[in-house]
Amino acid sequence: MGLAGLTICSTAFETLGRAQARALGCPDLPLAIIPHPFGLRTREEVRKIASECVEDIARLAREAGTAAGALLSGSGGARADRARRLEAPGDHDGFNRYCRERRWSDGLPLVPPTPERVAAMLRHTRRAPESVVAAIAPAYGAATAEGIAINAVMAGCEPQYLPVLITAVEALSDPEFNLQGIQATTNPVATWIIVNGPIVRALDVNGGLNCLGQGTWANATIGRAVRLLLQNIGGALPGEMDRATQGQPGKYTFCCAENEEANPWEPLHVERGYARERSTVTVVGAAGTLNMNTHAKDADDLLRVIADTLAHPTSNDYYFGGEPWVILSPEHAQVLKLAGLTKADVKRRLWEASRMAASRLAAKDYARVQHTRGAELGAMTAATLVPGAPTADGIGIIVAGGPGTHSVYVPTFGQTRAVTKPVDRD
Amino acid sequence: MTGDSLILNPTAPGGSAPRHGRKALDGLKGKAVGFIDNAKPNFHHLVDDLAELLVSRHGVASVVKHRKRSASIPAPQAVYADVKEKCDLVITGSGD
Repeated sequence: MGLAGLTICSTAFETLGRAQARALGCPDLPLAIIPHPFGLRTREEVRKIASECVEDIARLAREAGTAAGALLSGSGGARADRARRLEAPGDHDGFNRYCRERRWSDGLPLVPPTPERVAAMLRHTRRAPESVVAAIAPAYGAATAEGIAINAVMAGCEPQYLPVLITAVEALSDPEFNLQGIQATTNPVATWIIVNGPIVRALDVNGGLNCLGQGTWANATIGRAVRLLLQNIGGALPGEMDRATQGQPGKYTFCCAENEEANPWEPLHVERGYARERSTVTVVGAAGTLNMNTHAKDADDLLRVIADTLAHPTSNDYYFGGEPWVILSPEHAQVLKLAGLTKADVKRRLWEASRMAASRLAAKDYARVQHTRGAELGAMTAATLVPGAPTADGIGIIVAGGPGTHSVYVPTFGQTRAVTKPVDRD
Repeated sequence: MTGDSLILNPTAPGGSAPRHGRKALDGLKGKAVGFIDNAKPNFHHLVDDLAELLVSRHGVASVVKHRKRSASIPAPQAVYADVKEKCDLVITGSGD
């Protein structure tokens, strides 16, 4: 009974393949290894590789087939043990050396997660320490309230930030977000955390000047804690299961509030179905940030240059039908508002104007778009206009930042959707 | 000199996934093989070539081919159901 399983893996992905198989409970999953980069090979080279690979498959299938249950189910079980207590060096340097040896850090010094600090943080949730908030891909480790608090302490969070982090973990683990893909990809994608509602003021999360830059404790440490959780509970260690080609600075921390006071429209959480007085966390799979500096004071002109910036032929949003985001500066939002545009109008105008001629894509990417978006776009020609999101409401917009003529384009991983979850009430 | 102090382990307990046992096949002759193509460039060519070789060199009886919409999303449940029903061995792809 049962199905035998086998994975063909290019050399650069062998580490990921073995780690992922272990995490899913199939440590003996046979891997047939082919040379990397495989996608660049000529048709003749592929034939030669197949000729060798088929013998590996025949041998591996006889030797060590693995029942494919876990391979197909995609997720392991999550258990809810309390965290183990460990003796670690009490001095700063010794403690950080101890953490480095275990790869528990993002590369910066950590705060020791003593039982007292963790207990102080857990006083900010009604959840039991051992209650499982979610299993975090790709290792599918169980993120308990206690585990989240431990990593939050290490990142330097204030105890009252815990509810935001619990909500962030819930949002990241929603299947719509596709954390498995985000954690294990070569793409630089980082998890951008957007906080809305009254908790923004209560925790001093910055949505104004330099909100994506340095200097605000909540923004810096909440984003950092999420990264530690993704590594320590999710198991995505750089160079192992995290296969990012270069990564990006946003992988250290990427968190801001929306500037709701300066937003001339409904804020993000209200747009997404929550009451204004509810607090929420939204997660976005952000491939980077690109500054858009323009003195345009005319709404048409402003929308045109933003749309021009969105459309680029190396974009995952265009390949897969994604969800490009725009952070409008309060001044740019005001220009659009004064022209009588609603947020939905802005999305529709940007969506239409940012459609990109398929001829701009590289030949291989053109073929990829045809395959991934064929059902949506129909038969493509070089003149087909490819949108960055399947529909206009797929363009994400928040208003954030301080005075200035700078808005930000946030392209995404494409195979992900932003998820918003409400923060636990006290 | 400072001594040791107590901290809490920030990692999740490992090995929480249910362990799946090994299943070996007694050769490929007469077997049904399923492919789940990860949709990366060239992988469909590899699947075509392997399918041909599995039949001609190793006596595989039938080959079922599925292709994901893209590499970073799971295959639909219907694909899993199909290979479970029809196949003795399923082959997936990882990497590019």
